[in-house]
Amino acid sequence: MNDDIRPNRLLQALAYGVAIGTSLLFLYPYWWMLVSAFRPTRNILSAPLRPWPETLNFQIFSEIGRIGGVDLSTYVVNSLVITTLSTALGVIVTALGAYALVRRPKAPGFSLVRYGFLVTIMYPYMLLVIPVYLVMFKLGLLGSYAGIILFLALGPLQFFLFEQFFRKIPNEVIEAAVIDGASEWQILTRVVLPMAAPITATVAMITFLLNWAQWFPIMVISRSPDTYTLPVALLSMNSELGSNFQGIMALAVLTTLPVALLFLFAQKRVMEGMAAGAVKG
Amino acid sequence: MTDILATLSRDRIFYLFVAPFAALTILFGVWPILLSIQVSFTASATALRPNPTYVGLANYVAVLADPIFLASLGRTLLYTLLSVVANLAFALGFAILLDSRLLKRGSLFFRLAIFLPVITPDVAGYVVWRWLYDRSFGALNAFLTMVGLPPFGGLSSFDTAMLAILIAELWHHAGFYMIIFLANLSIRDRALEEAAHLDGATTWQRWRYVILPQLRPALVINSVYALIQFLKTFTVVVVMTKGGPNDQTNFVSYYAYQLFDQARYGEATAMATILFAIVIGLSLTAYRLGDREPGQ
Repeated sequence: MNDDIRPNRLLQALAYGVAIGTSLLFLYPYWWMLVSAFRPTRNILSAPLRPWPETLNFQIFSEIGRIGGVDLSTYVVNSLVITTLSTALGVIVTALGAYALVRRPKAPGFSLVRYGFLVTIMYPYMLLVIPVYLVMFKLGLLGSYAGIILFLALGPLQFFLFEQFFRKIPNEVIEAAVIDGASEWQILTRVVLPMAAPITATVAMITFLLNWAQWFPIMVISRSPDTYTLPVALLSMNSELGSNFQGIMALAVLTTLPVALLFLFAQKRVMEGMAAGAVKG
Repeated sequence: MTDILATLSRDRIFYLFVAPFAALTILFGVWPILLSIQVSFTASATALRPNPTYVGLANYVAVLADPIFLASLGRTLLYTLLSVVANLAFALGFAILLDSRLLKRGSLFFRLAIFLPVITPDVAGYVVWRWLYDRSFGALNAFLTMVGLPPFGGLSSFDTAMLAILIAELWHHAGFYMIIFLANLSIRDRALEEAAHLDGATTWQRWRYVILPQLRPALVINSVYALIQFLKTFTVVVVMTKGGPNDQTNFVSYYAYQLFDQARYGEATAMATILFAIVIGLSLTAYRLGDREPGQ
């Protein structure tokens, strides 16, 4: 845009000041967490503001090797397994479901499925988890990985992103395939899925980030800490009396770092995807 | 009838595609919601038995007569209102700043800094905030003391607990609302602004009468999302305050969960149903208000 008002120098300096100041305030908790993970608790007590650790000592990660009677490595593996499998399952199930609902919106029963899903995502999530406990009990899935993974599979953002994408596929593309004699299965696997590769990658990335952060359903469905993930372990460690402050910060680092790095690696995809998924909702 | 059968048979592959999605939606969505509503009409002590005792609306009456619930609901609504306004104002302000021509460089860095908390596991974020506020460990009060300001009561003081968790939640959520405003700002019609400028509109007039009306979609979406988000505030309470001090942050979700924990299933599910109705009612109202406004 051609504008004859030259940005005022003072205003510009002010804008940078606000932007930099706010950004640093938003990032400071990460820095404090990281520094505190490397400082003995008594040192933090005497100087909470020290901007870097006295020494770079990784000792704490072996000190928190067992939390609540379970190996730290178990929580790490649980986090990886539960997040990966629920993401894979969620992407496949949601993509197929959204595709069918978009292609045949008037098929008997389909609008019921859609409304059922929309009502579910309106229900206060934390209060949904409570009756889910009863359902898991009735299905015999309480305390199982299967129960946790199945529950985490569906999410609103994922569904809206796929629905939005499939709606934008021009009818002509599909009709051309029909005229060429392709079956619905062939249309899906040879026409639609190749087109859907980028959106699938976006949805998978976002689902992974969201499911990694999950804690309440995992805590409720679990029968023992053996199926806890990192956030759940962190929460139970934080609730203990006489907290090991340094250990809590080290565990918070372990919980945060993988997804923070993954996000920075795919930031454009994640931010654009989340904005697009929300705008549909 | 034959028509329907013909459709069903022609579309059977689509039923196959939708089946797993429908199964998960029913098992972990529709069924638990119906179960929850059913339990809300039963006596807690019998709720989990095969033949529960139905008590009609007794649980709803008990909940609505419970002074702790009413106080909790009032605080939930107050907290929601404050949070929605604070988050949207912050997100809109920062989006405008990032979108403006004043910031030529570094825009991506600023955006990442504000958005990073959104994908940070909320438990981890709130655990760090809890300790940042801590009187003896926390960096916040150490800083305030250093610069000679009075200490911040944080989570332990009745007067500041709500503000403290509002700030932590803003840190976690505002980046999400910001990118929606940014997406909306990037697709606005810039020719309109140029025309307004040529017509002699001031910067303020351009913002108020040209740009803001075009941001209505993002404002509506963000209001509805934020309403739903903050009405069900839960994790931050579990991690940071456990409802305290003196019930000041004992919001409805948390209170219902506590009742559930004490096996008062009937009242807990009645509360869940009431909150569900409030969420739906307020969201629909927000949509309506957003659609009805003139000037588009």
